[in-house]
Amino acid sequence: MKSLQIAASGMAAQQTRVDVISNNIANMSTTAYRPRVAEFSDLMYQQYLTPGTITSQVGTVVPAGIQIGTGVRPSTVSMQITQGALSQTDGELDIAIDGSGFLEVTLPSGEAAYTRDGKLNRSPTGEVVTMDGFPLADGIVIPDDAQRISISRDGEVVAYFSDNAVGQPIGTISLVRFVNEKGLEALGDNMFRETEASGPANRLVPGTEGVGLLRQGFIEESGVDVVQEISDLIEAQRGYELNSKVITASDEMLAATTRMR
Amino acid sequence: MSNAIYTSLARQQGLMQEMQVVANNLANSSTTGYKTDRAVFAEFLVSAGDSQDSVSMGGLAGHTFKMAPGEMKFTGGEFDLAVQGEGFFVLQTPQGSRLTRAGHFQLSSEGALIDGLGNGVLGAGGNPITIPPDAAQVSIGSDGSISANGQLIDRVGVVKPQGELLRDSNTFFEAPEGFAQFEEATVVQGALEQSNVSPVLEVARMIEVQRAYEAGQAMMEREDDRISQLITSLRER
Repeated sequence: MKSLQIAASGMAAQQTRVDVISNNIANMSTTAYRPRVAEFSDLMYQQYLTPGTITSQVGTVVPAGIQIGTGVRPSTVSMQITQGALSQTDGELDIAIDGSGFLEVTLPSGEAAYTRDGKLNRSPTGEVVTMDGFPLADGIVIPDDAQRISISRDGEVVAYFSDNAVGQPIGTISLVRFVNEKGLEALGDNMFRETEASGPANRLVPGTEGVGLLRQGFIEESGVDVVQEISDLIEAQRGYELNSKVITASDEMLAATTRMR
Repeated sequence: MSNAIYTSLARQQGLMQEMQVVANNLANSSTTGYKTDRAVFAEFLVSAGDSQDSVSMGGLAGHTFKMAPGEMKFTGGEFDLAVQGEGFFVLQTPQGSRLTRAGHFQLSSEGALIDGLGNGVLGAGGNPITIPPDAAQVSIGSDGSISANGQLIDRVGVVKPQGELLRDSNTFFEAPEGFAQFEEATVVQGALEQSNVSPVLEVARMIEVQRAYEAGQAMMEREDDRISQLITSLRER
């Protein structure tokens, strides 16, 4: 009785979908979070009678054949490339990316990671770091006596001092672009790592070659559309119930078989 | 042996297989681009013995799939494509060309348009589509033309199969008799075609199958009773 296993694969698929949706809803307030979406594909087909099988000497063939499917499997859980809404914070070191691109961060291991979370801070040594204390790969150090920092839309960082009205450039923030952003590996903490599928990191000046611009004093909100997630959740729950009904029905059919003498 | 039991047995086997078809449809009710499967039953005749009489039995004879379009779900994804009306996208798989209605595509690290399994999507000219790396916002027109930065790059190939389609896994279809470019196709960017499974119809079919199976079972039990009664009464004589 394969319908039991087929329905079980359907329940497992809907379960995966609920897992993905619950993670999206849990991250509805995570800075620059991009919602994930689970995609499914059907499993292989058992060929009982292949279409095109010759049925007579005059060359008549089976038009449709008998192919019975064996269930469903999750095919991909991919990131939706959406721009979250920008919310104003007026933080001097809060930067939002308006468009595509990532900030490059250096992990303690020396490895590069990429993030869209532009909630930056100053470390005790004046370095510009993320919320986790990892420095930006652009290596910007803010002088101790700097009064104010301004970050231009194309990434130029200028420090202003009390004794001089003219600012002093202290570095530039570049953005990194990937051919296939969906291929990035999520590390958690809003960070991603380059993979074979994403293609190599391509460092660019903000606003050139398709990368976005920077906006000082803003952060990007989560891209989760809660209404969409809830309607998907309802759909997944009903899908789960439908598959469980198939299990009940198959079970009753089996019970009828075992009652046979 | 009793023909009545054999006839019901053929029916029971067919119902079991149909249950699998229904289970597979319901399991794929969230699969992008999935097409509902339908089992087709046909009668076959068997000679009932020495006389000219024959018994008619039912068995699974074939399969059809409901080609009706599924609902469009708007996702806003740059490379989420759907075909409105007739037509299929063509993928270059290791097993040869495959047709699909599931347009959840993305870019490879080299910029080629690929599906979730890494198979290349073919353009109207029959070659894999490659998007230049500096393309900022790729837009795909309703005729499938891909443009970025104001330049035409390629055109998404949409084809119509010639002859029957063979079902493959991953919502792929194989066209053994080939396919031809379908010029009038309408491509929608930012949408995915949902599964065309109708849960209401499937559940109704499932109940029908289950009850028919139970009825068949009861029929076989009656027949069994009848034969055993016959044997008892013959012995008592």
